[in-house]
Amino acid sequence: MIDTIIFNDIIHGLFVLILGTAALIITQRSLTSLFNIYAAQSLILAVMAIVLFIEYGTLNLLFIAILTLAVKTIFIPLFLHKVLKRISVKRDLQFMFLSPASSILISAILIFVVYLFFTNIAGDLFADRLILLVGVIGIALALMGMMVIFSRKRVITKTVGYLTMENGVLLFSLFMAEMPFIIEILIVLDLLMIIVLSAVLAFGIDSGMEEFHKKLNRLGIWIED
Amino acid sequence: MIDLTMLAYCIPGLLLVLALIFSGRNKFPANDAVLNTFSIIHAFYLLGLTFVVLFGAKLPVYFMEGRYFAIDRLSLYEILIATIVFCLSAIYARGYIRDLLNIGEIERTNTRLFYGAFNLLFTVIVLSFLANNVALYWIFLELTTLLSALLIIILKARENITASLKYVFIASSAMLFSFIGIIILYALNRDQIADGNLNWDTLLAIAPSLPGTAFGIAFILLFIGFGAKSGLVPFHTWLPIAHSRAPSVVSALLSGVLLNIGIYGILRLNAVATQTSVGDNLKVFLIVAGIISILVPAFCLAARTNSKKFIAFSSIEHMGLLVLGIGLSSPAVLFWVLFHMLGHSLSKTLLFFSAGIFHRQYESNKYFQIKNAFKLQPLASWGLILGSLSVLGVPLFPIFLSKLNILAGLADFSLAGLVIVLLLLFIIASSFGYYLVRAFNSKEDETELKVYNTPKSMKWPIVFIIVILLVLGLYMPGGLADLLNGIVNDLGF
Repeated sequence: MIDTIIFNDIIHGLFVLILGTAALIITQRSLTSLFNIYAAQSLILAVMAIVLFIEYGTLNLLFIAILTLAVKTIFIPLFLHKVLKRISVKRDLQFMFLSPASSILISAILIFVVYLFFTNIAGDLFADRLILLVGVIGIALALMGMMVIFSRKRVITKTVGYLTMENGVLLFSLFMAEMPFIIEILIVLDLLMIIVLSAVLAFGIDSGMEEFHKKLNRLGIWIED
Repeated sequence: MIDLTMLAYCIPGLLLVLALIFSGRNKFPANDAVLNTFSIIHAFYLLGLTFVVLFGAKLPVYFMEGRYFAIDRLSLYEILIATIVFCLSAIYARGYIRDLLNIGEIERTNTRLFYGAFNLLFTVIVLSFLANNVALYWIFLELTTLLSALLIIILKARENITASLKYVFIASSAMLFSFIGIIILYALNRDQIADGNLNWDTLLAIAPSLPGTAFGIAFILLFIGFGAKSGLVPFHTWLPIAHSRAPSVVSALLSGVLLNIGIYGILRLNAVATQTSVGDNLKVFLIVAGIISILVPAFCLAARTNSKKFIAFSSIEHMGLLVLGIGLSSPAVLFWVLFHMLGHSLSKTLLFFSAGIFHRQYESNKYFQIKNAFKLQPLASWGLILGSLSVLGVPLFPIFLSKLNILAGLADFSLAGLVIVLLLLFIIASSFGYYLVRAFNSKEDETELKVYNTPKSMKWPIVFIIVILLVLGLYMPGGLADLLNGIVNDLGF
């Protein structure tokens, strides 16, 4: 049990950090730092789960924290770094539709719109202000992740966008309702499989290796609209 | 005895995958004939099992303490459709995949990957229908995305990878919104019953006491994910590309089985929604979503030049029609929605199988490559024509009955809506006519094309589906009508 005011302060501080990492993910061009930022964001979520565990004492939260720490801060970033070495691409310079500055602007607007939506329409869903805030930040984080998916060119960056979305959902679930733990595990497994699959697919699209492209284009007859 | 049904459903698929993983690269036969024979046996075994449960068991049956899995009439009916399509696909794959392997479009080393994913996809689809829990259903739905993405990239062209990635990203991101919906649903649920659970039957039971607005938000979030999986506008963009790039046998599965899973979720969800206080608003929401999903393909179809893409757009239209029917949520319409699912799955399987033969013959999916079709591939030509007629809902085909009755339900709801939908269906029908006339009316070519010798295993499924469609269009078996009525009853309409 922590003092309520301190507890609120800690949680609010962590929210600010999460939004900061989200802004960095949207604008970052270097892929290595992108993965590190993602790891940091997941770490913040894990810390938040631990703080909630200390406050409420639900064992479930502790498990979620450990799972997040093991999979999202350690395993997935390591795996992505490994993939990056193989595809010999260092940076993702291209932004489609949105420049980094306008992305930030749009995400600020997104947060505001989600806030308006939740206070006006879904008011009865959220018991107190803290949960409302979590709802807003969780959904906004998911939408920001979606923005990364459609505004970035490289598949590997899109993958990080998807992971950010998932972090938003995790944040939302931490406060709204602790799902049965088995379901949390299954979701993480599902996440892992998506990451592995899209990383394998990224070899085909992102790879800078010429011979790989030649090998892919050999099957010319399937290439038609 | 019945407790083992669950295991009986999953064992063959899991066994095959384990065998494939743990046998080294060479120990287990990488021979496609062996793996295909296994797939055919697997499919027919499950079909038999489904009939045994259908006639032998007293439904619904619940499994495990938390009732995480259940068999009721709706899930059994969906499994029945899925297994029929799988039986046909497994037979069709025998000749189709062998030929792709022979000309090197699929590498030999990937045969195991293909059949492993094929059989596991089958198991996962059955499990997603058996899951009685929304969260479990969500997870199996995600797994179907992954496995079908694997089946799409089995042809190693760059475009296939793009198509597959598009599918994975759109479907999975939309499914994350669904997951937020699940969390909200769980939070609402926990207020009603201690501990809370997300079982479909519990949800149906406590539906009247769920708070309206919050449930509405959860419903729309869940609808985003399920809708994306069944290719509803505006989440349909992955569908034409994925369907046209995938090998035809996989396209048939995507269209005939996988789209149904999303619709199944929406159907269950709507059964809960009609009993809440926002039921009427959500009804209108579904009807509008359905009409939009008919509208977009109506204007896309005429410009298509690729047969498989053309068929894929028609799938979007049919999913729109199904959601429209679900939105109308009257018992009579729902009966025909369920019947429409069967008719649509069979017709789309027929169309994609025929398109697959055309692709082998002309090495292209474009209509302007089709020459002397009736001379070279008479069966596939008739398959394409009869399949198109069936999809359009021409009398003598089952879709005629279901389309007519869904539209009759719409007329009761809104006359303006009916006029709009009829107009759109008219545009769609003319696009079909336009496409087929252009495809089959091409001038005789001087240069003689070499006839593609279609294997028997690719012909029989086509003949079988044509016969079944004609029979279903003229005569509805009493057992089927009872089953459908029972489902509508189970859903509480």
